[in-house]
Amino acid sequence: MKAFELQNPVTLAEAARLLPTKEGDESARLLAGGQDLLTELKHHLVEPDRIVNLKHVPGLDAIEWGADGGLTIGALVTLQDLAEDERVRRELPILAEAAESVGSPQIRAMGTVGGNLNQRPRCWYYRNEHAVCLKKGGTECFAYEGRNKYNAILGGGPSYIVHPSDLAPALVALGAQLMLASPDGQRQVAAEDFFTLPSEGNVLRETVLAPNEILARIVVPPPASGMKSTYLKFQERSSYDFALSAVAVCIWMDGKKVKEVRMVLGAVAPKPWRVKRAEALLAGRELDADALKAVGEEALRGAEPLAENGYKVPLTKGLIVRALQKLS
Amino acid sequence: MRARSEPAWKPKKDLTVLNRDIPRVDGPEKVTGAAKYTHDIRLPRMVYARFWIHPYPRLNLTKVDVAPALKVKGVVYVKALKEAGEDVRYQGADAAIAVVAAETPEAAEDGLRAMIIEAEELYPPMVTAEQALDESSPKIGRGGKNVNVREERGDEEAANIALDTVDVLIEESYSLPVQHHVCLETHGSVVDYRGGDEATVYTSIQNVSGTNASAARALELDADKVNVITHHMGGGFGSKFGIGIEGSTACRIAKELGRPVHLMLTRGDEFLMGGNRSGSQQTIVGGASKDGRLVALVAKADRFGGTGGGAFAGLPYIYKVENSFFESRSIYTATDSSRAMRAPGHPQASFGMESMVDELAFAVGIDPLTFRKQNLEDPVYHRQLDRVAKEIGWDAHPNKTEPGAVDGTRQVGIGFAISQWGSRSRPGSQCEVRIEPDGRITSTTGTQDLGTGSRTYVAAIVAEEFGLEVGDVTARIGESAFPTSAGSGGSVTTGCSAPAIKDAAHNAREAFEARIAPMLDAEPGQLVWRGGEVISAQDPQKSLTWKQACAALGSEPLSAMGEWQEHLRSQGVHGAQAAKVEVDTVTGELKVLKMVFIQDCGLVLNRLAARSQVNGGQIQALSYGLLEARVHDPDLGLMLTDNLDDYKIAGVQEIPEMISIMDDDDDRLAVMGMAEANCIPGHGAIANALFNACGLRLRDLPLTADKIIMGLSDRS
Ligand SMILES: Cc1cc2nc3c(=O)[nH]c(=O)nc-3n(C[C@H](O)[C@H](O)[C@H](O)COP(=O)(O)OP(=O)(O)OC[C@H]3O[C@@H](n4cnc5c(N)ncnc54)[C@H](O)[C@@H]3O)c2cc1C
Repeated sequence: MKAFELQNPVTLAEAARLLPTKEGDESARLLAGGQDLLTELKHHLVEPDRIVNLKHVPGLDAIEWGADGGLTIGALVTLQDLAEDERVRRELPILAEAAESVGSPQIRAMGTVGGNLNQRPRCWYYRNEHAVCLKKGGTECFAYEGRNKYNAILGGGPSYIVHPSDLAPALVALGAQLMLASPDGQRQVAAEDFFTLPSEGNVLRETVLAPNEILARIVVPPPASGMKSTYLKFQERSSYDFALSAVAVCIWMDGKKVKEVRMVLGAVAPKPWRVKRAEALLAGRELDADALKAVGEEALRGAEPLAENGYKVPLTKGLIVRALQKLS
Repeated sequence: MRARSEPAWKPKKDLTVLNRDIPRVDGPEKVTGAAKYTHDIRLPRMVYARFWIHPYPRLNLTKVDVAPALKVKGVVYVKALKEAGEDVRYQGADAAIAVVAAETPEAAEDGLRAMIIEAEELYPPMVTAEQALDESSPKIGRGGKNVNVREERGDEEAANIALDTVDVLIEESYSLPVQHHVCLETHGSVVDYRGGDEATVYTSIQNVSGTNASAARALELDADKVNVITHHMGGGFGSKFGIGIEGSTACRIAKELGRPVHLMLTRGDEFLMGGNRSGSQQTIVGGASKDGRLVALVAKADRFGGTGGGAFAGLPYIYKVENSFFESRSIYTATDSSRAMRAPGHPQASFGMESMVDELAFAVGIDPLTFRKQNLEDPVYHRQLDRVAKEIGWDAHPNKTEPGAVDGTRQVGIGFAISQWGSRSRPGSQCEVRIEPDGRITSTTGTQDLGTGSRTYVAAIVAEEFGLEVGDVTARIGESAFPTSAGSGGSVTTGCSAPAIKDAAHNAREAFEARIAPMLDAEPGQLVWRGGEVISAQDPQKSLTWKQACAALGSEPLSAMGEWQEHLRSQGVHGAQAAKVEVDTVTGELKVLKMVFIQDCGLVLNRLAARSQVNGGQIQALSYGLLEARVHDPDLGLMLTDNLDDYKIAGVQEIPEMISIMDDDDDRLAVMGMAEANCIPGHGAIANALFNACGLRLRDLPLTADKIIMGLSDRS
């Protein structure tokens, strides 16, 4: 990797001031657990002059419960701490399961929640220094006509990456809010609005985060009572792997009938893919075979597989069935 | 002087050290990190060297300017290996354009990035079989061709006529991707040359005795002045017989600088230029009679070995087929040459044949175990198949002649396959056993331990001879200055070196007995070595402890050489595999629940090490079957899987319950290598088990979820 200066700010404001202000200025990068950033540095995908280390900023590594049952997660909380938190496991299993599904024990011990949401795509072409693809400032998404087994079936174009984060679909399903700090103060963005499609925003990024903004905390509002939730991830290699497809579901039942459901798909689109029409279709229905079939069809409506990723359609439908059966 | 008696292995029942579970003698060193691998060698004033490898396969170089690297702090050496105007013909060693050496690995990398190398990329990159077979493509392979017929066996016309008579005929294609060796330790050397006329070359190599000549040539030194050392090695699997361009380049830099040089390939370079197992595409037409006889087979196999020819064992592999024809071709691409890899050619042939046999069995409605036995002449396979069937629970398994259904549940299936390996050996290996007056005893030979456990029997064979414990004997291996031993390829290591060790131990014992027999009022040959003592056979009251006996040597140690003895080794390994899988017919998840493998290999020297080899072979096959595949972008020519994130190998969660059985019905009292038959049939057995579970026949490895899901959704 290219040599860099390591900076160790001790407040969020100081850290934010050390970050570039202009879009496209890559002179500094934020470091948390380093599990993604270091691989990017080693492969020369980014070559910043300065690394701004967030780990000396106190107070960002706490998991806190509000009196109302809401949850605040500091950006530096590790995936392992989140996965092992007793109350999270009990009340928000979707979140513990998502955190636990990430990588390997080593990655979870180092990787943070903030880094997880801000990690960069895993697409073969993006990760190969020599393929100057759309995501790296080139003019073409090589995956579109190239080797695209792991790429997007929904929401793709002009880039066909999938968002790699396992936490992201879970947090969107939970209706989480992200607290972003910048030199000018704080703003709050819903997790659902944080992630962008390549067609909506800057194709070089996957989120609305400004260059000098830092994800400080995540607030999960207290869920309405009776919520059941799960994160079901399918990976090609069970030892450790990114998802081929994943389903995040929060559901409220009224007897045998669905009162409300929130469902978000992972690893099928460039951002966590909320399927509102499929959610609506289930409201008031029993989870019988017809409903399970219909919800799968609806969730995957509009899917446009590339040459090698058509399997994601039946796979995701299968996962939806499994997730709903598990919760009903 | 008594005539020299012939060394012979003791019957199994009389062995006290061998044929038991012997923990590796270097286990503690390895787990504590004390064992030094080539990669770990650090020497005073050592520099780190790295290659500049072009990622694109076919180039016309237009600019090679290495000078800017010298401006990087810490860089002490740069050299262009190719000049502007020269071509790069394939991805791999030929694409090494320049080399740099620096005080630190980081400076070396910075040096590489400072160089200016420009080239015109020739299109198409010629990285896929389709490109090679396209008429309009440039001819880039051997002899100016992209396709070479390599082998023809049998009478095609007769086989085709026989195919017309069969009751059941199946024609299918089977394919396997290129696989990598993935040695945990990459290729490379650390060359210790600091001026003068001697050098030590630490290298990760499976051919220690055969390497000092080539290292000496690169160093321009005399071969007897160069000692090649591989004390510990992180795997080779057939990819490490020579020092390669990485070794010779390290030698040249060391010679020029007069400083030690560390040149180990990066993982990325390893994928590009460290060799691979050739892929294959096979079209097989097989026919059987209603009663389950293999009547005819016409098989055509293409090997994808890059610039190399690839490997493919012939078909019908082990099975008896009345009329068969087999042809194989090499298809050349502009990628790194295939190299030998653990049972070269067999895992490919086994997959095609075992799939076809299974398809025919189900088509005629005979269970796949019975069908196999019906078409195998060698009774060893019958007993081995029966044994693995018993261990896997075949009797109680419901799907004997019909696979399970795709019904939204998880289905369990069982599959079988068999294998063979020659395990030949050859003359030439030697060993020295040396006994010191203070009681130390060493066994020294130039063999290497690739991680297999060979070091342990270098000591254990001698311990057995003298009634000592394994820990009493010091094994010294892995130096070219030691008595010559064979390279480790084709499972020859044990067959070549163990007889020489045994012979040396035998000779040492005879010489020792000649010296000390009088002290025990006994004749040489009338002594018993047991429990750390030497005892007179006639008068058990008369004995010496090992230490006393050694002290009797006076001031000079006793040394004896041993040579390979043909009668101490044998050859011919058979193996049978069963695999049990569970497939989720909703998500397509394939989980291997259990694998059972049995093999014979004559006298097993160390049962623990042998089972460990069988475990490793099964894991390698499982990984091949479930995950491994090299992927190129056909347009960009880039290898997309040049790292261990994207080239997926099995991890702990993939490993099933494993049963590794030594076939003790084998009564050959002779030794042979045994680490290849076990990596041949696993993936075929898993594919057969997948079919058995849910009726999905996948003919294209690896058996990844995407293919299973698509296959299942076609079926349901
Ligand atoms: C082998 C391997 C397997 C993996 N498997 C998975 C997996 O299965 N699922 C999965 O989701 N991920 C996986 N990852 C990706 C990732 O490493 C982890 O998810 C981890 O959570 C990243 O967190 P980190 O703290 O190490 O991030 P870092 O590497 O420190 O940072 C990642 C990125 O986020 C930015 N960043 C970090 N913190 C903040 C913040 N507070 N505000 C704004 N930007 C920030 C950094 O600048 C950087 O660009 C894997 C990674 C590896 C190497």
